Amino acid sequence: MARWSIIIPAAATATAPSAAFAVEYLSGDQAQATIFPEAEQFQTREFHLDEKARSALESKLGLPVRAKWIVRLALRGGVIVGAVIVDDVIGKFDRITFAAGLGLNGVVREVEILAYRESHGQEVRQAAWRAQFAGKSESSPLRVGDDLSNISGATLSCNHVADGARRSIAVLASLRSVGALK
Amino acid sequence: MAPPRFLLALLLLLPFAALAGDSAPEQSPEQVPLALPATRTSSVLDNINFWGYGEIEYARPTRDLDRTVADLRRAVVGIGYRFSPAVSFNSEWEVEHSVASASDDGEFEVEQFYLEFQPTDWMTITAGLFLMPFGLINEHHEPTQYFGVQRNFVETLILPSTWREGGIGLHGTTPLGIGWSLGVTTGNSFSSWNFAPTYPLYANAFDLEAHEMAPLQASHQELQSASAKRLSGYIAADYHGYPGLVVGGAIKTGRAVKPSSIATAPGADDPLVTLWEAHVRYTPGRLDLSALYTAGYISNTAAANAANPGAGNPIPASFNGYFLQAAYSVWQNGMFRLAPFVRGESYDMGARYKGTTGPVTPTGLVPASNTPGDNVLWPQQSDKVLTIGANFFITPQVVMKCDYQWFANNTTFDRLDLGIGMAF
Repeated sequence: MARWSIIIPAAATATAPSAAFAVEYLSGDQAQATIFPEAEQFQTREFHLDEKARSALESKLGLPVRAKWIVRLALRGGVIVGAVIVDDVIGKFDRITFAAGLGLNGVVREVEILAYRESHGQEVRQAAWRAQFAGKSESSPLRVGDDLSNISGATLSCNHVADGARRSIAVLASLRSVGALK
Repeated sequence: MAPPRFLLALLLLLPFAALAGDSAPEQSPEQVPLALPATRTSSVLDNINFWGYGEIEYARPTRDLDRTVADLRRAVVGIGYRFSPAVSFNSEWEVEHSVASASDDGEFEVEQFYLEFQPTDWMTITAGLFLMPFGLINEHHEPTQYFGVQRNFVETLILPSTWREGGIGLHGTTPLGIGWSLGVTTGNSFSSWNFAPTYPLYANAFDLEAHEMAPLQASHQELQSASAKRLSGYIAADYHGYPGLVVGGAIKTGRAVKPSSIATAPGADDPLVTLWEAHVRYTPGRLDLSALYTAGYISNTAAANAANPGAGNPIPASFNGYFLQAAYSVWQNGMFRLAPFVRGESYDMGARYKGTTGPVTPTGLVPASNTPGDNVLWPQQSDKVLTIGANFFITPQVVMKCDYQWFANNTTFDRLDLGIGMAF
């Protein structure tokens, strides 16, 4: 008990080097190239959802949606062929960084795990589980226990990666629907 | 008293739990670099993680209404700290049955307390008090993770949960989807085994789960000044390379401390305790199917049982159980989800005995306690239980549950259960 009495007040004031338990499997650049191998170049653009679009997405998804989004556009022959969002969700208590790619036909290309920071639940990296996202669209449920199978023992990570991917795909679909991805 | 002071400190820090509770944070790696600059300093709180879970239940035995119970079954707070990119600490602190003191039923216990070191991507080393990688529930025991108000009986009585040991272990996952785990831990102790209880060890299904009298429940040490002269080893593996499918098993074996009644008896060796299990779970979309079989063996029980003739609770030489379960998400709307389920299970806490023909128990009604008129039939150690119910998820992390359970042998245990649970 004495140990905790000392540590907890100290926690409020002390500083320490920040650490990240990250195992970074892919960079954002590597992920975009994996998802759109046919792309000749990528452009990074910043988009801002207006309040109406943002709140509509929040209502639809049941998830918080921020206004500012940085999107990686895949180009081939000077034409946009798809878009990628790199984002974070929480697994059990730490961030999972993932990338979700959407073709301009509105079909999900792929979801990649870029970094996983916990010692349990990393089964979401399995290619077979991530392959469930491919071919789905904004209109798909994209929910564990519906059109996505769970991984027993990695339920939180599965649910949260699915939430994040559903949000990224909805944002990309929203931008695509208003012609922003041209 | 230590626990209240500690809990007060936790409460002061609980607001920070919100940092870990949101599945969709506003930060993006496009805005916050993945590799933070080496010169960056920040609060030590950045390295602390909080989580928790808990459940409240109402159990109404429909043939014995006087034993209806409402209980804050468990309230658990988890605390983790990251010392370096590869070294972290995790712990869980639990209060069972709401109040823990010398005159109450509750317990305050450290459920997990371990360090993890991840030297490579494919392997993590764990040292301390940690959960054993057995079955479907033990490592994933939050109320949102299983169907029914109570954990199933097989993964409570035969394969104990929450089962933890002190020791050191390795675990990892291969690219082919094979998770593996092995280690050396403390084992069991039968030094204080209760051969001749004055009253039945349980009078209803609630007590059956709560009183920790099953073979491995009554002999586990939980790193409480644990006897560590002889250690146990375990190995476990799971395959999860196909979406929705988990198939696996585990085995543990090791010498235990023999009962004190034969501690000095010549030729009475320490018991060898072995437990194994095999499980499968398949969750293709809305369907959720699972099955588990487990069996345990305790050697060298004959001398101890023979030294306690006519005992109502001898040490079994073997015990086993299995269950089959099916659930289906019939309705989902946003975060809401309704999933009815049915489960059939069988457990036998004394499948075989040595040194005795089995428990010698009275027939007819016997006192269940020192309260006049509190009488029950002496319960049977094996049963078959059918459970039908539903989990209603308000969010994936908050669940309301109801079920009804029918017992084939201990028929007075039939009950209606209601519960709420959450995990963050």
